Amino acid sequence: MATDQQEHLKIEQLQHQSQDDIEVIAGRERENLEGWIPSLASESEVREVLEKAFDYRGDVTITRKDGTVVEGYLYDRRTGTTLETSVVRIMPTPAKGTTTTAIQRVMIPYSEIAALNFSGRDTAAGRTFEAWVKKYWEKKAAGETNIQIEPEKLD
Amino acid sequence: MAVPVSQAFTVMSYVLKQKLKGRKRYPLVMMLEPLFRCNLACAGCGKIQYPAHILKAELTPEQCWAAAEECDTPMVSIPGGEPLLHPQMPEIVAGLVARKKYVYMCTNALLLKEKLHLFKPSKYLSFSVHVDGEREHHDFGVCREGGYDIAMGGIRAAVDAGFRVTTNTTLFDGADPNSVRRHFDQLMEAGVESMMVSPGYTYDKAPDQQHFLGKAKSRRMFRAILSNRKKSWEFNTHPLFSEFLMGKQNFECTPWGMPTYSIFGWQKPCYLLQDGYADTFQELMEATEWENYGAKSGNPRCANCMVHSGHEASAVDYNFSSLKGFIQTAKRYMFKPTYEDADAMKLLNEWPAQTHGPLVQIANGNTTNVVVKTSIQETSTVSGD
Repeated sequence: MATDQQEHLKIEQLQHQSQDDIEVIAGRERENLEGWIPSLASESEVREVLEKAFDYRGDVTITRKDGTVVEGYLYDRRTGTTLETSVVRIMPTPAKGTTTTAIQRVMIPYSEIAALNFSGRDTAAGRTFEAWVKKYWEKKAAGETNIQIEPEKLD
Repeated sequence: MAVPVSQAFTVMSYVLKQKLKGRKRYPLVMMLEPLFRCNLACAGCGKIQYPAHILKAELTPEQCWAAAEECDTPMVSIPGGEPLLHPQMPEIVAGLVARKKYVYMCTNALLLKEKLHLFKPSKYLSFSVHVDGEREHHDFGVCREGGYDIAMGGIRAAVDAGFRVTTNTTLFDGADPNSVRRHFDQLMEAGVESMMVSPGYTYDKAPDQQHFLGKAKSRRMFRAILSNRKKSWEFNTHPLFSEFLMGKQNFECTPWGMPTYSIFGWQKPCYLLQDGYADTFQELMEATEWENYGAKSGNPRCANCMVHSGHEASAVDYNFSSLKGFIQTAKRYMFKPTYEDADAMKLLNEWPAQTHGPLVQIANGNTTNVVVKTSIQETSTVSGD
């Protein structure tokens, strides 16, 4: 679930207008999280940060309290009443040269997390329609044809 | 009839069976996402924004079939990603067809022509080609010049080869209803069986958050598009969902109506919102706090949603929940109303042409009013449904 901070534009709009009358709904605020190493001092910080990590579209690196490190995509979190009963679920980044396509999953209780780093590239950053429009017209003006955005290479 | 009689009968029997069993929450269409990888990179798409190792991951045919059996809906829709990039897609589809599931394999059709021979025509299989409008609209939306021509080529090839072909069009703020109506004509001329049209929605993961329609604007636009409709147009959406889009019906969301299964598991709660994943379908149904979703819940993320994945199931449920709903629906199927509406025609005729200017001319930096036929906002391929 997105945090209130991430949703505040919509919440503010809905507080003042009927959802049935809104012409264009407010967007959500994007946060620049890439490279961020947050503090995990209190329980509320841990919960807030892991909520953001769940929302993040890049890999994260988690250091457990026993010193072991897991890097991967945090695709799920399950919140319980305590940090011991709350867990994150991660698909680890395969080691370089790995050929297996089998999907691995790792589960880590919130209480075992010592540090978290938003280490992977935010794959959602900078991909706005405005950026595409600008690029399109630049290429068009330069006389290019078959203009397109190529999907990124995966290897 | 927009779908084969056997399909309509199967769906009707399934829903009645759920009603007789007293099930309050039952799924109607399973959304199967075997991969997130795509051969387009639409600027508005949030489905493809993952690290490379996630984009490379894919479900096995066995996982797909097991999920379909677990969920046990009569219809399975396969969005993505681009399903045709999955090397075992023909096998996955064949397995679902063998299980007598009515399959809608969603595709941008870039690979359809070359992969067509790997599939076998069947009443159970329909290629649902995503085309977001006329040539310029579609190409701009999918961020690829020439995309429309390839997609239409794929549609024609599939029709010629005897496949069922349907289409899916998603509209965003700035869409031009007159162009959308021409688009419908073009699709029907190409031989498609039926069309789906739905508004886009500001879902959490969509990168472009500024060009989605609110409910008021959606209703006005769909009233302009779908009123005074041509008899030749065939839609594969429930007629009461079409009326919902036009503002003639009011349905709450049925978030469990079209559950989604992907490499992450069963997505909570729906196709577009991600609040976590369940490992089994039963867990999805039991562990999800359904009361937290839908416009009525006050959840800001659901406030302006009118998409088919949440609301078409509501129309179907209403259809079978009361005599009134049943008679209303039967009439729509029997008499196929064209929704004559003089005000809607006026609205259509007076709809402002989209100019999207002034555009800055790159060469000299001057601001010039330039009229382009396309609408930059309307065609971002976002919902993927």
